[in-house]
Amino acid sequence: MSAGGTYELTVGVETEVVPDGAPGRTLGDKLAPLVANKLALLGGLLTIAFLVLGLVGLLIVSRQEWQHLYLDQNVRRTLILPFEEGTFLGTDNLGRSMVWRLVAGTGISLGAGLAVTAISMSVGMALGSLAGYVGGLTDRLISALIDLTWGFPVILVAVIFVGMLEPGLTAVILAISVVNWAGYARIVRAQTLSLKGRAFVEAARALGVSRWKIVLRHLIPNMLGTTLVMASYYIAVTVIAEAGLSFIGLGAQPPTPSLGQMVSNGRSFLSKDPWIVILPGGTIALLVLALNTLGDGLRDIFDPRLRRW
Amino acid sequence: MLTFIVHRTLYAIGLLFVASVVIFYGLRVAPGEVTDVLTNPVNRIFMIENLREKLGLDKPLPLQYFIFMGNFLRGDPGYSLVNGEPINELLRSAAGYTLKLGALSALLTYGTAIPLGVIAAWKRNSFFDYGANLLAVLGMGIPNFLLAILLIQEFAVKRHWFPVAGYESWKHILLPAVVLSAEAIAINLRVVRSSVLEELNRDYVRTLYAKGLPEGKIIWVHVLRNALPPIIALAGVMLRTLLGYTLIVETIFRWPGLGYQLVNSVLKRDYTVAQTLAILLTVAVILFNLLADIGQQWADPRVRQGAKTG
Repeated sequence: MSAGGTYELTVGVETEVVPDGAPGRTLGDKLAPLVANKLALLGGLLTIAFLVLGLVGLLIVSRQEWQHLYLDQNVRRTLILPFEEGTFLGTDNLGRSMVWRLVAGTGISLGAGLAVTAISMSVGMALGSLAGYVGGLTDRLISALIDLTWGFPVILVAVIFVGMLEPGLTAVILAISVVNWAGYARIVRAQTLSLKGRAFVEAARALGVSRWKIVLRHLIPNMLGTTLVMASYYIAVTVIAEAGLSFIGLGAQPPTPSLGQMVSNGRSFLSKDPWIVILPGGTIALLVLALNTLGDGLRDIFDPRLRRW
Repeated sequence: MLTFIVHRTLYAIGLLFVASVVIFYGLRVAPGEVTDVLTNPVNRIFMIENLREKLGLDKPLPLQYFIFMGNFLRGDPGYSLVNGEPINELLRSAAGYTLKLGALSALLTYGTAIPLGVIAAWKRNSFFDYGANLLAVLGMGIPNFLLAILLIQEFAVKRHWFPVAGYESWKHILLPAVVLSAEAIAINLRVVRSSVLEELNRDYVRTLYAKGLPEGKIIWVHVLRNALPPIIALAGVMLRTLLGYTLIVETIFRWPGLGYQLVNSVLKRDYTVAQTLAILLTVAVILFNLLADIGQQWADPRVRQGAKTG
């Protein structure tokens, strides 16, 4: 793209990217819009709280000596309501602590969300920037692949994957990643196309910087904002999908607690103790709400064009 | 336009081929072979060879794939491994149930979202608008399986207005249809509202008012018609999302449609049924995608013009 005319065209059509690496901007400056946007701040703080809970949850799920926290059953103390008989959030139908099950379940849900993000984001960014930067036949092939995978119903793919592997988190994580990478790739490709005509990239190329270094050092850092926005939405999608699949018995398998599976398990005891459904159900709804609010806020800051509707 | 359609169709066929191969091989390499389900440890050793031959499992995998796809394309996908029922009959009844549920959900979605969205935009910032907005937020925030069990608890278990699950009467379809359309209503409501709001600010609306046309006619005829394109564009996406959700909703309500049968066959490791349904639903999604792509191109008059002259 050496002709000046093309350069102007691409700038006019595509995004205006926030120059994140501009000198003289402190961390406080960068966070200022987030603080100004109250709703996004609330979403962000809630998300951080959930992340902390989730980390604790993942920790107790992964360490055998701590698993008793959410696995220990007690038939004498079943279906205790929250704040009664010395418990915090009560117990479930087997007398297991609701608090620890919720923490562990949050950990599983968020862990799955982060795993999906890690897989689909790295694949999506690699293929998207490759398509956008190299162009030609590579671009056409990758674009075709994006068009065809994007928009496949996650649940359908997940059920098929469960059939291929076995019911469990691995199948769910793989299935959602297989669909979601295309979402990242689409945006990254478009951004690469717009960025590669810009002056700082031209300058880098003129200085003889290699292709890969340009992509890694100049293009990808400029897309982090947009991808962060997408990541928060996609983690929310993953949490919902995982919960739904666990609910019908295809996701995380007992005794590993997952929020969806807790809802499903509590269904039979709903009239006796509605809390064992309300608590995990409410946690899912709140977690998804937090992630979406954060996503909306980040979107307004980084890239208003991504507005969904 | 024509080249576009041809290209897309070729892509779709290519993807279909890849998807069918992946589904077929994936389900075959899955843990637990079909014969394990059909035999027990005592008679396994005597029956296994016979059974493998009968089911065609002794042939090389690529050959098995072509035999299966050949039968599938001829409209004879074989028999269920678990109960020996012909898959065709299962498909016919399941497709009917899914179509019924889908049609009612679509009716419910647009029958609710369009009027509510239009009124919310028309009377913006009114009590009604806030109410509609709240409905939208709730509809998008509550996962559908949670909504399902709340509705079941309230209207089936407590009040006995509707059955908990099943498919015998018209009453059985109502709760699943509501659950299936809840999120679609919420999303469409917001799209309708913002699209109508945008139209309300246009010059032609002012002209119509100046002309003295009754307000109802301006809103429901002129503005609504011009506000439709984004809603139609969204319909393709909605259809695919709903197709995914039917798997969960049908399973919860034990509504014997395609989704329920797929989940069920996967859980029972009934591979012949599972692969048939999986490939069929994949075909449906790819077809939706193809039609949505072509429809979107068609809706753009510039593209259409180009096709006519070129």
